[in-house]
Amino acid sequence: MNTRTDPDTVLADLAGMLGKVVAEYGLVDAEITRETTFHDDLELESIDLVVLSGSLRDHYGERVNFAEFVAGLELDEIIALTVGRLVDHVVASLDAGAPA
Amino acid sequence: MTGTRRFLVVVPPLVGHVNPLVGVAAELARRGHDVAWAGHPGLVHRLAGDDQRVFDCAVPEGPGRTPDLTGPAAFRFLWAEFLLPLAEAMAPGVAAAIEAFAPDVVVCDQHAVAGALVAQRYGVVHVTSASTSAEIVDPLAAFPKIGRWLTDRLAALRAAIGDPAATSDPRFSPHGVLAFTATALVGDVPAGVRVLGPAIAPRRTAPDFPWEALDQRRATVLVSLGTANADAATRFLTEAAGALALLTDRVQGVVVDPGHVLDRTPLPEGTVVREYVPQLDLLSQVDAVVSHGGHNTVCEALWHGVPLVLAPIRDDQPIVAEQVVAAGAGVRVRFGRVDAVRLAAAVDTVLDPATGHHACAAAIGRVLRAGDGVLTAADHLTSVPLAPGVPDTPENNRIPCCDTESLP
Repeated sequence: MNTRTDPDTVLADLAGMLGKVVAEYGLVDAEITRETTFHDDLELESIDLVVLSGSLRDHYGERVNFAEFVAGLELDEIIALTVGRLVDHVVASLDAGAPA
Repeated sequence: MTGTRRFLVVVPPLVGHVNPLVGVAAELARRGHDVAWAGHPGLVHRLAGDDQRVFDCAVPEGPGRTPDLTGPAAFRFLWAEFLLPLAEAMAPGVAAAIEAFAPDVVVCDQHAVAGALVAQRYGVVHVTSASTSAEIVDPLAAFPKIGRWLTDRLAALRAAIGDPAATSDPRFSPHGVLAFTATALVGDVPAGVRVLGPAIAPRRTAPDFPWEALDQRRATVLVSLGTANADAATRFLTEAAGALALLTDRVQGVVVDPGHVLDRTPLPEGTVVREYVPQLDLLSQVDAVVSHGGHNTVCEALWHGVPLVLAPIRDDQPIVAEQVVAAGAGVRVRFGRVDAVRLAAAVDTVLDPATGHHACAAAIGRVLRAGDGVLTAADHLTSVPLAPGVPDTPENNRIPCCDTESLP
């Protein structure tokens, strides 16, 4: 298989993982798009990122390094972080790991 | 060691940061040392007494944050708009105090960084006072660039008001950090940090309270978001009122509502709603506390062995809340999302002896009540070496989380 990763599939995967996180604290049926922000829209906190990191590892294995992604973000980027930005990171990570 | 010392205590205009040092200053004076303060004279006099010598420092107006500013945005705002300008504004006053008072030791609050930076410029030993557990543990180690954002700004501040040759982080003195918090919250700490237990400050005045209204047949649950969060409280307190209605057969609520946001909300019979409460006296009578997780309230509840339901809003509160959960002494809900049903379930959880929260809180309380942080702090301050040339070790990129309970 050397097809490119489909960003819409990744978005759907992430929406599922994030939906599970936010449902835990009462935000059900949250519509999650590329433009959804981690902070203002989903009110995610660092503890949630730990959970999300675990979900990503369960789903994608070692191919996606979420800790490295987060560590690379500037303060302003973290404040404005969107789901789309994480989708792009996941897609790039998966494609980088795929055979050419 | 022999001889008396001169201590200059540098504090920001934040009640929760001054309180822990009130008892320490009194103990130092009792031992015959000279103590003066640098900060906002009105606040220091109110909290520490009119007889205290205070060197006036200019303090800027409070930042006036909007209630919805939370998380990393609140962090950026806190430092960029308040603590860094505060340090610049306070620096001339701190310098004047050092020149006039000639202290042997500067005791500076962790977030009044002017104290540390100016003390270094004058070659005076400084010791840090930390009034919250959040910054001791490097909670955001996963976000190194946030740390660098701040340390870059602190370095620029040092160039402006400090000793350009010094390298230590002004929030963590190489001569010692006195941390007024509970070991149960912070766990293992870096070398140089002394965890002294929370400073439980007796209030100078206690508001009236209708003690006879407390129903001995039901559990008493105190609901308080502190005094600084009235603007953000309406939704949460309304849900809390709904939770109390669901729990009314087994729980009586005592709700602190300084903003009168519940004036038109129906409440179950027997609910006590007050603008202010005598919190310390009340904590010896309650079975659980629902709070935003301000470090003071958390430590006071734990001191009394009371478990907590925490709904952190911002700043150090999410970290303090996680520490309480990790210690087994409480549960956490989402301030912005929790509804009456979830909140009632959380209260039931901490009240249920089978969950162990009560036992954990009780065990933490026994340890806290046995300690005496004031004496330990005074011992450290009176014995810290005064010789210059103490190694000035650079600190790593620690993430600050300020207790802003009383941010103006």
